[in-house]
Amino acid sequence: MKIQTQRQPGETSPWAVLSWLLIAITAYWLLPWTALEYGLGDFTAEEWVDALGWKQVRSTLVLPILLTLMIPLAWLRISAKISGGLWAVVPGLALGALLIGFTATETSMGLGATVIAICLAALFAVGMAELGFQRGDTFIAGAVIFVIFMVSVFIFFPVGEIFNNVLFDKAGIFSPFQFFRIITSFGVGRVIGNTLVLAFSVGLATTLFGLAFALYAVRATTRIRYLIKVFYILPIITPPFVVGMSLILIFGRAGMINDGLMYLLGPAGLLIPEGSPGLFERSGYIYGFLGIFLAQTLSLTPISYMVISGMLASVNPAMEEASLTMRASRWATMWHVTLPLIRPGIANAFLLGMISSAADFGNPLVLGGEYDVLSTEIYFSIAGAQLDFARAAALGIILLVLSLSIFYIQNKWIGKKSYVTVTGVETAGNVTPLPRGLQRGLTLFVVIWFFLVGLLYFSIFLGGFVKQWGADYTLTLSHHLELWSKGLESGAWPSFLNSMSYALLAAPLTTLVGVLIAYILTRKTFYGRGIIDFGTVLIFAIPGTVIGVAYILAFNTAPIELTGTAAILIITMAIRAMPVGIRGGMSALSQISTSLEEASLLQRAGSLRTIRSVLLPLLKSTIVSSMAYSFIRSMTTVSAVIFLATAGTDVATTYILSRVESGDTGVAVAYGSVLIFTMLVFTLLVQFTMGRARTDKQVKTI
Amino acid sequence: MSDASIKIVLNNVSKHFGKVRALDAVDIAFAPGTLTTLLGPSGCGKTTLLRLVSGLEPVSSGEIWFGDENVTNLSATRRDVGMVFQSYALFPHMTVEQNVGYGLRILRTKPDDISKRVQEVLEMVAMDGFQRRYPDELSGGQQQRVAVARAMVLRPKVLLFDEPLSNIDSKLRRSMRDDIRRLQQASGITSIYVTHDQAEALAVSDEIIIMRNGSIEQQGPPQALYHRPRTTFVANFIGESNVVDAELTGEGTHRQIVFGDARVDVTAGMPIADRKGPIKLSLRPEVLEIRPFENTSSSPMLHGVIVQRAYMGPVIEYTIKTRIGALFTRGPASASQFKESDEISIHIQPENIIIIPENSKA
Repeated sequence: MKIQTQRQPGETSPWAVLSWLLIAITAYWLLPWTALEYGLGDFTAEEWVDALGWKQVRSTLVLPILLTLMIPLAWLRISAKISGGLWAVVPGLALGALLIGFTATETSMGLGATVIAICLAALFAVGMAELGFQRGDTFIAGAVIFVIFMVSVFIFFPVGEIFNNVLFDKAGIFSPFQFFRIITSFGVGRVIGNTLVLAFSVGLATTLFGLAFALYAVRATTRIRYLIKVFYILPIITPPFVVGMSLILIFGRAGMINDGLMYLLGPAGLLIPEGSPGLFERSGYIYGFLGIFLAQTLSLTPISYMVISGMLASVNPAMEEASLTMRASRWATMWHVTLPLIRPGIANAFLLGMISSAADFGNPLVLGGEYDVLSTEIYFSIAGAQLDFARAAALGIILLVLSLSIFYIQNKWIGKKSYVTVTGVETAGNVTPLPRGLQRGLTLFVVIWFFLVGLLYFSIFLGGFVKQWGADYTLTLSHHLELWSKGLESGAWPSFLNSMSYALLAAPLTTLVGVLIAYILTRKTFYGRGIIDFGTVLIFAIPGTVIGVAYILAFNTAPIELTGTAAILIITMAIRAMPVGIRGGMSALSQISTSLEEASLLQRAGSLRTIRSVLLPLLKSTIVSSMAYSFIRSMTTVSAVIFLATAGTDVATTYILSRVESGDTGVAVAYGSVLIFTMLVFTLLVQFTMGRARTDKQVKTI
Repeated sequence: MSDASIKIVLNNVSKHFGKVRALDAVDIAFAPGTLTTLLGPSGCGKTTLLRLVSGLEPVSSGEIWFGDENVTNLSATRRDVGMVFQSYALFPHMTVEQNVGYGLRILRTKPDDISKRVQEVLEMVAMDGFQRRYPDELSGGQQQRVAVARAMVLRPKVLLFDEPLSNIDSKLRRSMRDDIRRLQQASGITSIYVTHDQAEALAVSDEIIIMRNGSIEQQGPPQALYHRPRTTFVANFIGESNVVDAELTGEGTHRQIVFGDARVDVTAGMPIADRKGPIKLSLRPEVLEIRPFENTSSSPMLHGVIVQRAYMGPVIEYTIKTRIGALFTRGPASASQFKESDEISIHIQPENIIIIPENSKA
C-alpha cells in the first residue's frame, strides 16, 4: 500500500506542538533527570536539585536548547515532507540518544527524563503523521506510536531480558547451552511433567463440569438453574489461593474431615473399643496433586462454564427440533446434534482450563507440598536463598512456550471451526429440554457442588472467627482485631490500602490502553501492526509468574529502575488485567459499524472528536465493566505481584500469603473473607448501577 | 442547477487493496448539479469509487478534482462531502436533532442557528417534529430521511448515496427514490448514487455509469444505455434482453444482418460501419411480437416453439425455442394465448433491433 500524504503543509496545530515542546523543556529544568536515591516518596530538596539534568551531565543541555530552537518551526509554513521529516528525525534521534545514553552509562532514568521521552515520542508522532503515517492523522499516529512504545517497554523488553538471562551467564559471558543445562538438570523434568499432568487433568475436569453446568443452566427446567448465573461471580472475586486455603480448612491435617474421622475412628475414637488401637491416623493427603487439582477445578470450572454456555445458548433450536422430528430421542439428539455443534466451545474450554492451571500460582503454593509445578518452581528459584535468576528465567521460558502454544492452538485451530453463528441474540424460549435422566443426574451434581462451595466459603468465613482451627473452636474476634484495630500503620490496613489505591490507578490505565489496542486492532491496518498483534498475544498468554520474573530482571537496574516502587506494581496489575480491556473493547467495537465513524468524519469531525462524540458514548458500558473487572483482578492477583511487592508496597494478597507461610491461618482467612466480602459488595454495586444505567435511554441496536 | 454546483473529475484513478485491483485507471467527469448512478454487480468497484470520492479511502494513484480544487490529498473531514450510508449510520446515542445538528456543532454554529437549520432540513425531508426521537424509535424509512437530512445539512459540495434504498421494503422504495431525486434537483448538489438495482438507476439518474471489474463499461443517460448498449454486459444489465448471435453478409448496399430465419437490410446509422462476419444483437422482450405460425418469409421473422409459459397476471411470459437459441418475451394475458409446444412466428420491427457494437470478445 502506497502511503498517501493527506496532510497539507503546516496543518498540525502549532499549539499542540508548542505544548509538547514546553512540557519537555519545563521537565528538563524542574524535574530530576536521573532517578532519586530513595524514589519519589522520600527525598530531600538537595537530592532533587542534584538530580537535575544540567547538574548531572552538562551535555544534556543540548536537549532543551534544541527544543527551544524548534519552537518557531511549528509556525513555519513549509512543505509537509520537509516539516514532517524535521519533526520525525530530530525528536526521534533525540529519543534514541536519550535511551542509549542512559543504558550506556548505566544510570536510571528520573521522572524528568521519562516525561521528556514521552514528549519526544509525541513529537515524533507529529512528524510521522506529517509524512503521511495513518493518513496524516496526528491523533491516531500518536496513539499507535504510544501503544508500540508501551508494548515494547513493558512486554518485549522484559521478555527479552528473560532470554538474555538464559543466554548469558552471571559473568555476562555468552553461554548458549545454559538453557539446556538447566532444563536437563535434576528435578526439572519432573516439574515439567507435573505441570503437564496437572494442567491436562484440570483441563479435562473443568471441561466436563463446565459442560454439566452449562447444560443445566441453559437447558434444565428446574429453578436451581438460576443460581448458576450467580455462581460464576465467586471465583472472579476470590483471590486464587483462598480456595486452596479453604480446602485445607476442610480436608487438611486439622480439617473437618480428619477431625471427624479421628473422632470416630482414631485412637480412643467413638467407634473404637477401649484399649484397641485406632483405625485412623491424621493424614496430609490434601497436600500435593489432589489438593491442587481440587482447588483449581473448583475455581476454574466457572470459566469453562461461561465459555460452553455462551456457545450452547447460541445453538439454533431448529436444528435440534429437526432431529426430534426425525424420530431421534432426546438422548440421540443431544449426542448427535447438540454436542457436535458445541464441540469448538468444549475444546476451547479445555485449552483455557489447561492454560489457567499451568499459570496458577497461588493454589500450588498453598497446597503443593512435594508436588512442584513450574509456576511455584520459578518463584522458589528466586525467592529462596538460591537467587538463581538463570534457572527462573529458563523455567519461565518453558512456561511461556507452553502457554503460547496452547494459545496458538486455541486461536488457529478452534477459531475456524465454529459452526455456531454467534448472533448475540440468545434464542429465547423454546429450547429443547434435557433427557429426563440426565436432568436428574445433573440436579444432584449441581446441588452437591453448591453444597461443597458453600461449605468452602463458610469455612473461610468461620475460620476468621475461631481461635485455632482444628484445635480450639472457641469463637473470637482476635484475628479481625489484630488485622483491623492496630491503626493504619500496622496490621492489615497498609496492605489493604495499597491494594485499593494501586488497583484504582491500574483500572483506568489498563482500560485506556486496552481499549486503544482494541481500537487499533479492529480499525487500523498499517506497516508495523504486527508488533502490536504480537504484543497482544503475549499479553494474553504470558503467565503471571513469568511477568514477575521478567519485571524483576528488567526493571531492577538501569536504565529503567522501578523495583520497589508503587509504579511497578500498578503497571504489573495493569498488564495482568489488560486482556479484559482488549477483549471487551474488541467485541464492543466489532459490533459498532465503521460507517458511524465515517459519518462523523464526513460531518467535519476529526478522529479525536469522532472517538469522543461517537465511540466513547457507545463504549460506555464496556469501559465501566472493564474498569470494574480490572479493579477486581488487580485486587485479587498474586502471581506477578508476589515477585515485586516489598515491605513498603505490600498488597493484600501478598500479605495474606505471608501470614499463611508463618502459620497464622486464622488471620489469613479472616483477611481473605474481608477481601472477598469487599469485592462482592463492589461487584453488586457495579452491577446495580450498570443495570440502572441500562434502563435509562441507552444504545439498544447499533 | 445552482451556482454552487461543481463538476467532479477523476483523472486516471486507481485503487488496489494489496494485490486486488478494485479500480483500474478510471477517468470520469460528473457534470455539475447532476445525479449520476454507479451501477454494477457486487465487486465491480462502484462502492470503492464512491469511497474514494468521499475521501474515506485514499486513492492508490490518480487525481480527484472538485471544481478547480484538487482534493486528492484532502481527508474526508475536509472535502465538504455529504454521504447517506446503506445502514444510515445514525448515531444511536443521539436524538434526531443531535444527529442532524452534529456537523453544525462541530463547526461551532450558535445553538439557535443549529436548531433553526436542523428544522429547515427536517422539513425538507418531512421529518419536522421528530427532533427528540432516537433512531431506534423511528421506522426504516424515517431513519433514511434523517440520514438524508444529515447529509445535506452542511450544504456540501458533493452528495454521495451508498445503496440508500437497499434496506427499505419495496413499497416504500419508490416514494423514497422520488424524494431523493426531488431533493437533489432542488439543491443542485452534484451527486453520486451507488446501486445494484437497474430499475432504481433508470428512475433517479441524469447519467448512469455501468461498472464491471474495476473499470467503466459504459456511461450515458438512461435512455442511451437502454437503447444503445455498447456491450453485451450492458445490454444484459440494463433491462431484460435476449442477446443473440448474428452474421453480417453481403457487400456495399446489399449488406444484410442474418439471424436464424430472419434477414435485415443494413441501413445508414447502424453502428457497424464496414464490419463483416459475426456480430451480436440485443432483442428486448417487448419488441418480440408472437403470432400464430405463418409460413411466409416476409422478414424479419423467426420461427419457434413455445417451451414454457408462466401466467403473471396482466401478462404471460413465454420462453421460445428458436434456431438461434431460447428467446424470452411476454404477451398480453387478455388476447389470444399460446400453449406450450405451439409452433409460432416472431415478428420484429427492424428499427427495434439493437446492434451491440463491441467486437465479440466476450
